[in-house]
Order: sequence, then C-alpha cells, then structure tokens
Amino acid sequence: MTTDPSAGQAILSLSNVRKEYAGHVAVDDVDLTVSAGEVVAIIGPSGSGKSTTLRCINLLEVPDSGTVSVLGRTLDTARGVKHAELMQLRRDVGMVFQSFNLFPHLTVLRNVSLPQERVLGRSRKEADERSMALLEQVGLASKASAYPPKCSGGQQQRVAIARALALDPKVMLFDEPTSALDPELGLEVLAVMRQLADKGMTMIVVTHEIHFATEVADRLVVMSDGRIIEQGDPKAVLADPQVERTRTFLSAIRDR
Amino acid sequence: MDHLVIILEAVPTTLAVTGASFAVGALVGLVLVLLRRTPWLLVRGLARLVVDVLRGIPPIVLLFIVFFGIGSGAIRLDPFQAAVIALGLVSAAHLSEVYRGSLLAVHRGQFEACQALGLGRRTTYARVIAPQAARVAVPGMVTWAISLLKDSALVSTIGVAEIMLVAGQDARSTGAGLLPFVLASAVYIALGTPLALLSRYLEDRLSIERSR
Repeated sequence: MTTDPSAGQAILSLSNVRKEYAGHVAVDDVDLTVSAGEVVAIIGPSGSGKSTTLRCINLLEVPDSGTVSVLGRTLDTARGVKHAELMQLRRDVGMVFQSFNLFPHLTVLRNVSLPQERVLGRSRKEADERSMALLEQVGLASKASAYPPKCSGGQQQRVAIARALALDPKVMLFDEPTSALDPELGLEVLAVMRQLADKGMTMIVVTHEIHFATEVADRLVVMSDGRIIEQGDPKAVLADPQVERTRTFLSAIRDR
Repeated sequence: MDHLVIILEAVPTTLAVTGASFAVGALVGLVLVLLRRTPWLLVRGLARLVVDVLRGIPPIVLLFIVFFGIGSGAIRLDPFQAAVIALGLVSAAHLSEVYRGSLLAVHRGQFEACQALGLGRRTTYARVIAPQAARVAVPGMVTWAISLLKDSALVSTIGVAEIMLVAGQDARSTGAGLLPFVLASAVYIALGTPLALLSRYLEDRLSIERSR
C-alpha cells in the first residue's frame, strides 16, 4: 500500500466541514480526502475535534456547513440531507465505537445478524451464515450464543467490528476503538483491525495508539482546536513534525 | 361473613375498572411518549401540555368532568365507561412519564449504534430500544398498577359498584361502621400483593445482567 492518494481512487472526502455546539467551534474548515484501501489515523489532544470529524462522516453529527462525499455521492450538509441519502451513506460506511454499543439483550449472533436482516433484507439463514463466517474471522465463533455483557471488552469490540462488517461497508470508521480496553484486550482488537487493513479495507481510525498508527496507517492526520494542523506519512510526521503543536503533543505521548 | 361475601362479589368490578384503565393508559401513554419524541416542536409541546394537565388535575375532578360534564351531554357514558376513560387518561399521563424515564435510561450509544448501522426508526425502537427500556419501565408500571387498584375506589362516587361502593352501602344498611371498611382494606391488600410479587419476579427475569 502507498501513501500517494492518487494510487487509489478517492472514496471519501470532507470539504470545508464545520461543526459548532452552542458557540463552541468543535470542527472548522476540515478537508480530508481518503483513497480506496487507504488507512488514515487521526490523532490529537482531547477536544481537538477528531471524534467529531469522524462522526461528521456518517452524519451522526450533521455539520453546520461543508460537504461529505462518499463513493461519488456528495451531500451538502447546510442544505439538509434526504432520508434516502442518509440511509445510503450509512450503508456504505460502517462504524465502531469506543464503548462498543452492542445490543445487550441480544446474543452475539443476533447482534451481527439483526442489522443484516433489517438493512440488507437478508434471510435469517443467510445472515447467520455470514455472521458465523465473520465471527470466525474475529476469533469469536465460540461466543455466538453468549450475551455481550458476559463477554470481555476486547471480545465485545471484536463482535462490534463483525457487526459493522456484516453490512459490507466500503469504509470503516473507528472511534477510539481501544480506549476503553486494558492494553492486552486492546491488542486483540488491534490485531483484527490490522487484518482488516491488510485485506484492503478503507479505514479511518481515531486513536491514541501511536504504535498502531505508525505500523498500520498509510497516513497520519493531526488535529488541534478543531482543525487539521498536519498530515502525512506516519513515520515522517512522527520523526519530524512540522508544526510546534504536533511536537508538544507527540512528546506528551512519548513521555508517558 | 355476609359482609365479606358482599365485598368479594364486587372484586371483579374493581379488577375490571383497574385492568381496563391500565390498558387504556398503557396504550395512550405509549402514544404520548412517542409524540414527545417526534422531531416536530409543536407536537412535542402539545403532548407535554396534555401530560402536564392530566397530571395536574386531581383524579376525582377529572372523573367528574368526564362523567357529569362530557358523559351526560352529547355522548352518553355509563359510570363504568366514564371511570375507565378518566382513570385511563390519568394512567396515560403517568405511564408516559414512566416510559419516558425508561427511554432516557437506555444508553445514548444504543441509538447511535442503530443510526450508524442504518436501522430504521421502527426497528430501532421495536427491536433495540423498547426491549431495554421495558426492563427499566416494569417496576414503575407495576407500582402504578397498585396505585390504580387503590385509586379505583374513587369511582364509587359516580356509582360504579366496585369494592368501596358496596362496602359503603353495607355499612349504611347494617349499621356496622367499621367491619365493612376493614374487610375492604384487607381485600385491597390481598389484590395488591400478587402485583408486588409479580414486579419482583419480572425485575428478576428481565434483568440484563442475569446469568444465563
């Protein structure tokens, strides 16, 4: 894989995205273009707008202005988004949350199958087959009939990844997927994500895992105060940050 | 023992008033809570106003409005119908608040997961949110059912022949001032106890963290 965006076709782009909450600017003037198969890691201090940026991609947060474009379908958020456009967008984009957000009253298998039945119209049998294949892939086939609260955090997060993948998304968003996990459990989640990246999935990952960002990401995006302040090849950015704010943030991470 | 027999004969009426009012309240309350969660500000405001008004009126006043006010005008309501409408509306307001609280108790992440997966509003509520909210709502609903059972004594004032009405008639006709009402109390307690037990059983059964 390469860091040259022209290598893959642009699959997703944010243009001029701005989001404000009651006078506080969370994200401002964000432009981001992601190529098919590219893995982009977004880092930055808390409150820098990285999660908000991610949530603007699948319109969990609707930007006040700017456009979101996925697979050539461009949505102008200031004009309002039609329900059908929103549903199509969410079909193309899968998301994994920091807090997993599995459905606690459904078994692991039902968690992965129900959305397939409801969103893609798959039969229960089809959906279950696909679910089992994906649970196998994330190493949790044996947990199919367990309920999420009985699973470890790492297991829950892997189920959440399988649930999102089951809808055949073209892009996967990860919002601090390991931040709620202790280091060992985080590793099993990172292993699954690495596997997914190797298979060519387009991924945007908000993370504090610098190691993962360096090893797996094609591009590192640094955010501060709602803006992208620097981006580029992860190793290059880490070795020689161009912006003072990046430097202080990185040294804060390293000094831990 | 004649006193007890007279009261026991009125038990089905008390249960019918309570059950029917609760059913009306459970359904109308559901409609009210859904209206309070629509995107339309005006609809939300109206639904909230209805809830606040219904909760602000003493049940007996509402009962008289329905029976003497509305029920004797253009539409004819017999006492039982008026009782079920009035107590049903009071229940609807109260239960909509119980539902609302239980929806608020469902973690925000559950809604977000549904949105991100592209689940429709109906699937989201029916398959994901309601089953979790129900676990929270059940104790409040049963508590309300017990209150309603006791408050159903109010409808004796418009002539529904339930426990309180027959106990009062019995007291007046026999001159036994204490016994009929003590017996009525015992019967109310006896009817309410299974509900309380049911509540505990359901809470236990529906607990998300139960060991399976």
